[in-house]
Amino acid sequence: MENEEKVMTGEESLRIISEMINKTKFDIRQGSFYLLFWGWLIFVCSLSEFLLKKFAGVGHSYYVWLLVIPGVFVSMLYGFITGRKAKVRTYTGMLYMWIWLGFFIAAMVLFIVHSKSMYSVAPYILLMAGLPTFISGFLIKFKPLIAGGICFWVIALAIFFAGTDTYSLGTSIAMLLGYLIPGYMLKNRVDHDAV
Amino acid sequence: MTRFKELDPILHSQLRLAVVSLLIGIEMAEFTYLREQTGATAGNLSIQITKLKEAGYIEVTKKFRNNYPQTLCSITKLGRQKFAEYVNDLKDYLNPDQK
Repeated sequence: MENEEKVMTGEESLRIISEMINKTKFDIRQGSFYLLFWGWLIFVCSLSEFLLKKFAGVGHSYYVWLLVIPGVFVSMLYGFITGRKAKVRTYTGMLYMWIWLGFFIAAMVLFIVHSKSMYSVAPYILLMAGLPTFISGFLIKFKPLIAGGICFWVIALAIFFAGTDTYSLGTSIAMLLGYLIPGYMLKNRVDHDAV
Repeated sequence: MTRFKELDPILHSQLRLAVVSLLIGIEMAEFTYLREQTGATAGNLSIQITKLKEAGYIEVTKKFRNNYPQTLCSITKLGRQKFAEYVNDLKDYLNPDQK
């Protein structure tokens, strides 16, 4: 930026304003990490549960879900490290964080309420996960994520009526459509923009 | 006598306008972020930030992170209001017939 005493024209003022406002857009990379991390984790857990139960006849196949516990810590650690490194806090970034934190708290409450009937929790979790996904899609103006949120709701409804046997397979498909595909598309867009 | 309302002299300066335009869309920014985005020298930026702070347009908070000093800037309510007025005055200035 040049010496501040230089006389500015109205056009120059407008150019500076629009140029600077464009620089403060939310860094969408923050979004793709969580989508891919949680997408893969839940995808692996739900598909493993389905395969172990269906083809290996393992009775306690739901134990694979214990992998979610270290996942929460990894997620928190990533958030803590990136938060400390961040030089700027955008309103969109903060809103993004609070929406997902709200979902996490609501999911914990749901797990406690359903602690004696965990097998029935899948449609409700998908129903809730659809909301932050859908809103995040609008926040970062990314249609695949909006579609991902809708997929969660459609699959939640479908597995609710199809019965508990379809819950783990339905969750895997939901992760693929709701998190992994939009997550990779988002990552590719970021990499492409960075070139 | 000019028929235009005079543009706010605090904001009608390249670097100060750039800083306020950056801060308008974000909750908080580090001094180093503002320096990177505006391409200004640390000395010049520091002077302009002080002027904006003295005018009450921005708030400056000093903290320590990993034993290093950290300067955080955010826009105030007055700063927001003055920026909106500046943009309106600028519109009148650029399109006087629309008034």
